[in-house]
Amino acid sequence: MDEHTHTEPPSEPTLRIKALESLLVEKGLVDPGAVDEIIELFEKRIGPRNGAKVVAHAWADPGYKKRLLDDGSKAIAELGFTGLQGEDMVVLENTPAVHNVVVCTLCSCYPWPTMGLPPNWYKAAPYRARVVIEPRKVLAEFGIDVAPDVEVRVWDSNAEIRYMVLPMRPAGTDGWSEEKLAGLVTRDAMIGTDIPKVKA
Amino acid sequence: MPALPKDMVEIAIKTGASTRAQVTTAPRFKAGDKVVARNINPPTHTRLPRYIRGKHGVVQHNHGGFAFADTRAHGLGDQPHHVYSVRFEARELWGDDDAARDAVYIDLWEPYIEPAA
Amino acid sequence: MNGIHDLGGMQGFGPIEREENEPVFHADWERRMFALLNLTIAAGQYHVDEIRHAIERMAPAEYLMTPYYVHWLHAAEDLLDKKGVVTHAELEQRMAELAKKGGK
Repeated sequence: MDEHTHTEPPSEPTLRIKALESLLVEKGLVDPGAVDEIIELFEKRIGPRNGAKVVAHAWADPGYKKRLLDDGSKAIAELGFTGLQGEDMVVLENTPAVHNVVVCTLCSCYPWPTMGLPPNWYKAAPYRARVVIEPRKVLAEFGIDVAPDVEVRVWDSNAEIRYMVLPMRPAGTDGWSEEKLAGLVTRDAMIGTDIPKVKA
Repeated sequence: MPALPKDMVEIAIKTGASTRAQVTTAPRFKAGDKVVARNINPPTHTRLPRYIRGKHGVVQHNHGGFAFADTRAHGLGDQPHHVYSVRFEARELWGDDDAARDAVYIDLWEPYIEPAA
Repeated sequence: MNGIHDLGGMQGFGPIEREENEPVFHADWERRMFALLNLTIAAGQYHVDEIRHAIERMAPAEYLMTPYYVHWLHAAEDLLDKKGVVTHAELEQRMAELAKKGGK
């Protein structure tokens, strides 16, 4: 199903979008400079490195971690990450007893300020259909083997609350700087489909 | 409304567009309440997925009031309601054959749920 | 609505296909569609709930077979036409003009 998402689309969308853009600009609804600016913002400036900073700070600072779990939006805003598709944030803590994973079964809702735009697999049918009904099989496909005594919680972001996973801090990272810790945090770890680990 | 100018893009993105809204009625539910998701099948917009309808869950938390997607999508106004985080056991959703001790958490506007026994 | 978008629990979709080092946008048309939808929201033409419902009304087979940002294009075209802001006719005409000029 997904083979179409990263091959060349039929030329029609390209032409349609070009036509649409020219009409919208003519009608004064879209500023061409704004088009370039918003693309630049999401292609270069907003991305999962933001969320990685939040996670690393929570790992390093127990007070921040508590604030993050109590009020995600407020704590994330302390680090300057706010706004569109992240106005109402809840952070989910992974523990030895609970593994959290996030999905939007109905469309593609995802916390943009901390994680940028979602990957295609998150937005496509297989993940959205399967993770709510067979999360362990899905996680196994991602290389995560969840022990039988661990509870898996799947969070369906169907309303306007946006979710981000706070993964467990891996062993062997004592005394690491926040910058080094952030380097361990992958985008998938904040969705719940990866577990941070120290490379051997 | 005129076009968003280039120099306002970043601030607009950083501000966002929260749909949090004041609800004038007291919440019907609280954490720990047993609820059942209503079996509604509107041909119009809803954010209550089919896999949840008619299923029993437990309220975890009241997120507060938000504009109601079901009405907003059709120009029928914000009509804010309390939104609850509700937990549904995997066995409840997928059948007793489901071996897992897992659960799905989903956010339900108050009109989506009724009290359960 | 009980549309194709309501995928939770459906079976038969096969493995989750992931792209190694996936870029934020795969092509220029994706970039521009991302920008146009967000900027027209900012210009007050519609909001996310209307957009989601417009996408839900896509023909099921089309929904499943088209790239993600084509869903956004469908929503923008549908809503802008319904609101009389950019009609299908205007769009078709502009496409014809651009195609003549050789602009693809």
